[in-house]
Amino acid sequence: MTAEIDTTATPSAAKGPIDRAAGMGRRWLRLRGTLGVLVTQLVVLAAFLAFWEYATGQNKAAAFMFGSPSAISKFLSQMAYDGSLWRDTYVTGLETLLGFFVGNCIGTLIGLSLWYSRFVSRVVEPFVIALGSIPIIALAPIIIIWFGTGLISKVAMSTLSVVIVALVTSYKGATGVDPDQINLLRTLGASKFQIFRKLVVPASLTDIFAGLKLTVGFALIGAIVGEFMSSSEGLGHAIFKAGSLYIIPKVFAALVATIALALILTFAVGKIEQLLMPWRRQLR
Amino acid sequence: MTEVGGMMQFGPGATTAPVPPLVVEHVAKSYELDGGRTVPVIGDLSLTLGEGEIVSIVGPSGCGKTTLLNTLCGLLAPDAGRIRWHGREVAGQPQNVGYMLQKDLLLPWRTALGNTMLGLEIRGVPAAQAEDRCRAMLDQLGLHGFADHYPSTLSGGMRQRVALARTLVNEPDVLLLDEPFAALDFQSKLLIENDTVDLVRKGRRSLLLITHDLEEAVSLADRVIVLSKRPTQIKAVYDIALGADRRDVISVRQAPGFSDYVRSIWADLDVVLQ
Repeated sequence: MTAEIDTTATPSAAKGPIDRAAGMGRRWLRLRGTLGVLVTQLVVLAAFLAFWEYATGQNKAAAFMFGSPSAISKFLSQMAYDGSLWRDTYVTGLETLLGFFVGNCIGTLIGLSLWYSRFVSRVVEPFVIALGSIPIIALAPIIIIWFGTGLISKVAMSTLSVVIVALVTSYKGATGVDPDQINLLRTLGASKFQIFRKLVVPASLTDIFAGLKLTVGFALIGAIVGEFMSSSEGLGHAIFKAGSLYIIPKVFAALVATIALALILTFAVGKIEQLLMPWRRQLR
Repeated sequence: MTEVGGMMQFGPGATTAPVPPLVVEHVAKSYELDGGRTVPVIGDLSLTLGEGEIVSIVGPSGCGKTTLLNTLCGLLAPDAGRIRWHGREVAGQPQNVGYMLQKDLLLPWRTALGNTMLGLEIRGVPAAQAEDRCRAMLDQLGLHGFADHYPSTLSGGMRQRVALARTLVNEPDVLLLDEPFAALDFQSKLLIENDTVDLVRKGRRSLLLITHDLEEAVSLADRVIVLSKRPTQIKAVYDIALGADRRDVISVRQAPGFSDYVRSIWADLDVVLQ
């Protein structure tokens, strides 16, 4: 019976040279596509910076109000030289990472385990919605009273910004599992824990990672808001201090560092996602 | 014709006859709608699946075939009647029963091999032994070389073969299949039907096949049960006597009498064309 199987599908190892050449052609086309996008993005950015530089160069008041790319880069190199750029980025990065990690761990754990009991999840639901609707900044004064003005209070702010989103996305993932798939595992004799571990958790990974990507930004916002309230270092502190002294280009310089931090963290999450979900990579 | 369990022998001498793997007696099932109204789905249904027997169930759309299957697997509890597996009523899921649907239900994060191993893994079979058995089963179903492929890289027919391997590797006595081949193109369908029948007959397993496809029902089965509209009852039963080698579903389709069966069953279904 094996001889009758569809001959159209052969294992990829058996592909001929023509297929391989076609594959390379496709890869080149795809590369050219992404290259085109990248070049266009750079052109748009350069045009924006050039306009900014030109407009603020004409007018002293505008230069004071809006800074200019050249002034920003001057501050950036100065901050890099005196080490404050690295120090502030490190501090905010650490707060963000810790808050991101703790918040996602707690949120995902609770969100997934709510799958276990329909009763508990129904009891908890209004409380989650209520907690989720609190603007985190409103909690900042209490957080500082409870946790002081050091690292812990910023991590707490960051954690709080993340935890509800992580809970909701992971719960959504867990309850979105195809009931037929659950039935299949039941007919194979799986216990509730086996269904949880072998089906619900891996099936929720897609939603969990969507939540992770979303919460990178939230964790950073939490850390920066915490630094705004009271701090002696960090990018939020640098932004706040430069702002109060009306040094606008320095505000932008710290903002550039913040954006870079956010991009690096988002990129890292994407890489981890690819590592943990290899079956999604094969789709492309 | 509603009483199909009539071949069961009770009283003296019954002990010598083998106990059929599945006996359904007067099962009824209804659903409750949101308004509190109940809709009877299965009216009164009795049937017997003998050892090594292939029985097809056909019926009009929406006649509760899937409800019947879920009730048999213990995923739904019947309102009335008894379901006996090897002579015993079981609470929850019956043992040694394989279940397969039109959807292949493969887990996308597991390779073909990983999906096939699911049942053995759940039952705690040592990994090395489970892997050997699963590779052999995949080979037998023509999937040699595809064990390490993820489902997203396989064709529909191959995915359904993996689902079949996942079912058969647990060596079930009874297979309950709910339109397993309905989504496949005609050629893949014939080939996988042939392999299924071959493996079922070789292993002396019993098969209950729910299908819309009358030709599939007749070509595979020893017996075809025609269901009525809701509330479902048995409308007619056909013992398929086609003489030919019943392990070759393709040549059975050419056997004299084949189209007569299909035509009478079609008439029984009483399909109104609009």
